[in-house]
Amino acid sequence: MNPVAPLSLYIHLPWCTRKCPYCDFNSHELRGAVDENAYVQALLDDLKQDVKLIDGRELQTIFIGGGTPSLFSGQAITDLLDGIALNINCAPDIEVTMEANPGSSELNKFSAFRAAGVNRLSIGIQSFNAKHLSALGRAHNSSEALNAAKAAKHAGFERINLDIMYALPGQTAESANEDIAQAIKLSPEHLSCYQLTIEPNTLFHKQPPNLPNDQLGWEIQEIVHNSLNRANYKQYEVSAWSKLGEECRHNLNYWQFGDYLGIGAGAHGKVSRPDGSIIRYWKHKQPKRYLHSAHTNSRFGDRKIISEKELGFEFLLNALRLKVGFTPKLFEQRTGLSIDVLQPILSEQIDKHWLTQTNSNIKCSETGYRFLDQLLTDYLPPD
Amino acid sequence: MSNQRQNLIRNFAIIAHIDHGKSTLADRFIQYCDGLSDREMEAQVLDSMELERERGITIKAQSVSLKYQAKDGLEYQLNLIDTPGHVDFSYEVSRSLTACEGAILVVDASQGVEAQTVANCYTAVDLGLEVLPVLNKIDLPAADTDRVASEIEDVVGIDCSGVLLVSAKTGIGIGELLEEIVRILPAPQGDAEAGTMALIIDSWFDNYLGTVSLVRVMQGSLKLRDKIRMLATGKDHQIDELGVFSPKRTPKKELACGEVGYLVSGVKNITDAKVGDTITSSISPVDTALVGFQEVQPRVFAGLYPVNSADFESFRDALGKLSLNDASLHFEPETSDALGFGFRCGFLGLLHMEIVQERLEREYDLELITTAPTVVYKVELNSGEEVSISNPAALPDLSRIEQVREPIIRANMLMPLEYIGAVITLCIEKRGTQKDIQYLGRQAMLTFEIPLSEVVMDFFDKLKSVSRGYASLDYELLGYEAADMVKVDVLINGDCVDPLAVLVHREQSQYRGRDLVKRMRELIPRQMFDVAIQASIGSKIIARETVKALRKNVTAKCYGGDITRKKKLLEKQKAGKKRMKQIGSVEIPQEAFLAVLNIGGD
Repeated sequence: MNPVAPLSLYIHLPWCTRKCPYCDFNSHELRGAVDENAYVQALLDDLKQDVKLIDGRELQTIFIGGGTPSLFSGQAITDLLDGIALNINCAPDIEVTMEANPGSSELNKFSAFRAAGVNRLSIGIQSFNAKHLSALGRAHNSSEALNAAKAAKHAGFERINLDIMYALPGQTAESANEDIAQAIKLSPEHLSCYQLTIEPNTLFHKQPPNLPNDQLGWEIQEIVHNSLNRANYKQYEVSAWSKLGEECRHNLNYWQFGDYLGIGAGAHGKVSRPDGSIIRYWKHKQPKRYLHSAHTNSRFGDRKIISEKELGFEFLLNALRLKVGFTPKLFEQRTGLSIDVLQPILSEQIDKHWLTQTNSNIKCSETGYRFLDQLLTDYLPPD
Repeated sequence: MSNQRQNLIRNFAIIAHIDHGKSTLADRFIQYCDGLSDREMEAQVLDSMELERERGITIKAQSVSLKYQAKDGLEYQLNLIDTPGHVDFSYEVSRSLTACEGAILVVDASQGVEAQTVANCYTAVDLGLEVLPVLNKIDLPAADTDRVASEIEDVVGIDCSGVLLVSAKTGIGIGELLEEIVRILPAPQGDAEAGTMALIIDSWFDNYLGTVSLVRVMQGSLKLRDKIRMLATGKDHQIDELGVFSPKRTPKKELACGEVGYLVSGVKNITDAKVGDTITSSISPVDTALVGFQEVQPRVFAGLYPVNSADFESFRDALGKLSLNDASLHFEPETSDALGFGFRCGFLGLLHMEIVQERLEREYDLELITTAPTVVYKVELNSGEEVSISNPAALPDLSRIEQVREPIIRANMLMPLEYIGAVITLCIEKRGTQKDIQYLGRQAMLTFEIPLSEVVMDFFDKLKSVSRGYASLDYELLGYEAADMVKVDVLINGDCVDPLAVLVHREQSQYRGRDLVKRMRELIPRQMFDVAIQASIGSKIIARETVKALRKNVTAKCYGGDITRKKKLLEKQKAGKKRMKQIGSVEIPQEAFLAVLNIGGD
């Protein structure tokens, strides 16, 4: 039927020294020491079973996220990546990304991570401004933020991403400008720039910080985007910017509706099966429960086949985040459905100038890109 | 023999204001007379519609027949006929009272008398009923029985020297009250041997039985398999089932003279068992009908439109089914440029409108847009022709109009003395003219003539708020008076949206227009573009507000693998849009169509 989708692997390391007030990821404050070996073993046990789902496909990318993965030792990451290579075929040019915090204790481990096989480092800078860092409850300070990128280069990383947030509590146009200028000056290959969003179930949701109003938030976004454009970074996704050819291949695979296994507490996976069905699953979120169940068939929090009426929506939810959009061919390959199922709404949105269709590529217009959520609701399956 | 049986019947109603404990008292009677086992005793049995129980109000008349063993050793049949408590449904009260010889006036011992209670009590006295005053909720610390008893004497004018003190909640005084009902209230009169005459108090449609009528046998009797005739239609039917509610439906062989019960007689169409009609025997019919009831006319009209135009047919069916049990609900098809196909519906009042809308949405799973309610205006054209206008958008061109006349009501309001000033100010603001004021002990009865249009909007809420909930209202329609009305149109991004048009008095048109667009600005959510809201009279713009465009609506961070959260967020956004109607390219929420109800508020 359709060519098999590229395969990625997501690994979740759920611990942090403390929980940031804006974060709603599956992260848990560290109490005492983590038994690294036990968790790495659980991840590998989990993987050994997930591998049965992929019918011998080759792994294109790995992403180690968290939590704060850089809390783990170089040895633990080495054991993990070695263990993965024993259980699954890895492409020769595999991309292995790991998230790291800029704290000084982490910087010392960068070389070890590189030696373990990590070839792309994503550093959670968020801001270089001391005031903003403390408002965000980050554990690092501004000089650590500055040193982190340098330390990563020094450790031999040729592909570095910096995470930057904007529209922060108390942020002005000037301080936003300084932040993004500083990030660009470090010349990373990739920049992820997010507007701070208050999510439910976070401390900020309970005690809302004083955020810039809509107008200022918009001005700050313009400043950030213009600075990135001038510095020749190219936006390829709503919040992702890179130098030429330096896109994050792992995230691209999500957005192109590729397949991925997810191992670790609360990790999500999505896999196309030979019969044409696509399953989505996630693992137990509580680290303790995960550790106990990782080697068993009860390691799933839930597991289900994506219904046909949801597939179109789920594809677009990802693909329209990409600046280039998608080709009908990709849609048909990834979902096994004909593009005709979407055509009525697509045509309607093209008429509204929310979407454009050129050279067989369907993508958001400038307006559509700003109102992507509104546009996507049209594709939600009726309840 | 049959006369003795008749002597053991007591037909009575409970007159009480909302919340004064009528339903609880009825429940207590049922329990006391073993009408239901404890297990069957669902709180407030008589309010059987889900909505009635939820809102704590009675909408339809109901009856319950109980066996009471009195201290004199005899067993009495007590027929309690329930009455609705809200002003919107006051016409149902006189129906219920017509079937009774007595009424229990229940007054909250801490709250005192309310206007609605007074009006209903007068109706009872006019109909020749014996009224038994009762003070309820005497277990509450705030109960002030002496004050409230003297208030009943002052305001209602009935003797309260022997007033009964009860607590329906705890059961205090219920036994004594039942004894008094037997002792004081008269037994039904009427000749059991004369030609049969029974009054239809109410009719409703039951999915299993078909048309069911609640009847009171005034003379003669009704027996199973009897051939009967409805005097209004002249049609003959046979009684398939008859009986009483105890409160369970309990079939019997006969309803004797003086009794109240239900009958089922194969009537297909509910309009053939007309409320107020007289049932007689088709073998030996009587020629003159009992005095029936005035037919109820709707006072408030609004357009109802399905949000999804594909739902029009099911909406029509739902209205048809609802009207089977609600003779006061009127509807006819209507078309709006903005909303498409819908119905112009007539209601007794705003509460009635809300209830109908809620039932349509809940029981028939429809999503509806309700336009601003309006009263019926009589418009005299230059040609001398007179037309009734129940939709502001249909007002003829001003150049063709000789005169617009609007309905006027007489409002009686009862309130503690300290709120007189505030209530008078409110009534004058609502274009009212003071007609009378009476001081009745610590309360005053204020009478105003006010345009109905002012009353159907937010008058009741305002009255409650200026009097901290103490003032109460009763009103009756007086007639029509000339008024200088103008049509205020609302334009959204330059397009006139017909269902948003309102008729207002010229003197108030400027500020109403300003208030209306301001309210709408608050209610219309920000969209992808600026939304201009304008109010105009003819071609003159009198107010303008803008809903500024949203800059963006996009999730900054998509959590790679985990799309479940993002999906939930989008589903929430979509659900929010469901209650909105797309007018041109602008999405307008249901609340905005009713913005006119809240103007001049806070």
